[in-house]
Amino acid sequence: MNKIKLTLKKPPTVVLEAEVITPDHLVERSNEEIRASVVYHGKRQRRLDDFFDIEGERSDCVEIHGDLHRVRHVGRGMTRGDLTVRGDVGMHLGAHMSGGTIEVFGNAGDWVGGEMKQGRIHVHGDVGQQLGAAYRGSPIGMQGGTILIDGNAGIEVGMRMRRGTIVVGGTARDFAGLQMKGGTIILCGGAEIRTGAWMQRGTIVSLKEISLMPTFAYSGAYNPTFLNVYARHLGTLGIDLPCAEAEGSYKRFCGDRAVPGKGEILIWEPAVS
Amino acid sequence: MVLVDIRETKSVKAADIFLQVRPGKDFELITILRAMIKDQPISETQIAETGLTMEQLQDFVSRMKAARFGVMFFGMGLSMTRGKHMNSAALLTLAAEMNAFTKFVAMPMRGHGNVTGADVIMRSQTGYPFGISFNRGYPRYNPGEFSTVDVLVRGDTDCAFIIGADPGATMPQPAIDHLARIPTIVLDPHVTHTSRLSRVHITTAPAGISAPGTAYRMDEIPLPLHPALESPYPSDEEVVRRINETLMKKPDWMGERPQILQTQI
Repeated sequence: MNKIKLTLKKPPTVVLEAEVITPDHLVERSNEEIRASVVYHGKRQRRLDDFFDIEGERSDCVEIHGDLHRVRHVGRGMTRGDLTVRGDVGMHLGAHMSGGTIEVFGNAGDWVGGEMKQGRIHVHGDVGQQLGAAYRGSPIGMQGGTILIDGNAGIEVGMRMRRGTIVVGGTARDFAGLQMKGGTIILCGGAEIRTGAWMQRGTIVSLKEISLMPTFAYSGAYNPTFLNVYARHLGTLGIDLPCAEAEGSYKRFCGDRAVPGKGEILIWEPAVS
Repeated sequence: MVLVDIRETKSVKAADIFLQVRPGKDFELITILRAMIKDQPISETQIAETGLTMEQLQDFVSRMKAARFGVMFFGMGLSMTRGKHMNSAALLTLAAEMNAFTKFVAMPMRGHGNVTGADVIMRSQTGYPFGISFNRGYPRYNPGEFSTVDVLVRGDTDCAFIIGADPGATMPQPAIDHLARIPTIVLDPHVTHTSRLSRVHITTAPAGISAPGTAYRMDEIPLPLHPALESPYPSDEEVVRRINETLMKKPDWMGERPQILQTQI
């Protein structure tokens, strides 16, 4: 299959803002036009080929190699195609995206999938803060799509998210699901303090015991039926979500009463054998 | 006056009521208060983790609601402990929500010099108080990405220009290390921690003593400064103006026109 391959020549000395690295931009351009795309190195406008070796043209299948931890806005606002990053990648990966898939074999920076609407992001390493979150001053974060993180996540996972699913394989830090308005966050490795603070609606599932805010109230233990549907869907993405009654049950906490909100936090409790 | 602190400070003498909150439980306490002003059920055990009792908080809430005009002052004990900006956000939200009952405002107690002035000027010039990037030719605001400490800790900058501040004394070690690594230019009347690690230190006249200017009071009232003494050194304003004049002679870095980053797609 026709593919565009970008290889970073050497890591930029200051931040490189490269919102042109999206399948949408590259799919309708020839190799020469891609080379001439404008990127911002600090405040200076530079050509994309000043930093990358570029092979291929007119394809929505993009593969990037190298340590891109200072390269920001990769896959910003993409609506289609596949983007693969082999190495670390900087902030705002897949922000505002509304389609396509991103896969990162490395770590990613802050604001991965910020305010995304649709599509899928899979990061095999760790991510920074504000995963799938709203930007400052914006009332709504992620509005749809799926984010899968194999490693750990920073603070404010899914801040103000409205819809969509976030799965964190490792531990999330403080304020996971801050001011959530809907959607689902699954924390396979638990979280640090203040999970679900100020949430209005939405579901946070934790497979490990977590400390909760004092404004959450215990409301029983059960096996929610909807989690069967989630488990079957997440199973196709390679995530094992326990839901059988024989294995255990979920403790349900509702809150946050400060808002007052109708959100729920489900904490998995394995059955004592 | 109600004083909330983690230990008995000298201000306790001036306070009518002192509430001793457990360290690191500010956010929890304010969130409980937000629930209580809306008459949401909160149990004694839930309050216990903040180190206070139901009785104390009920009394506090009724006093707040009975006030005609309440002011909440908060300082770095709130904004610089775990939770950081969300602790301040919690208090500001509480103040906003108290306005359903009575007039309430929240005001930060600023440290250092003319911090309020910097915020006020940035706000009127760009629309944002801090954490602004101009690299695209127009202001963009994103604390965490463009705020000084974060930029320095990540090592995202290759030059620093510091006026009227001493980050070398207060910032975390990785940020200070980066300041020492890159060319740092400091404008300051005194020798400071930052000027010791800087490449260039330009001595300026101290504002208010031998240079005129405007300082902003904590409540954002501008106060004109009249110099009392002569100084052999130029003012900050004059140094920056002369640097700007020289920079203007260099070719424009913007290119033909800036490529605007679409925020709403």
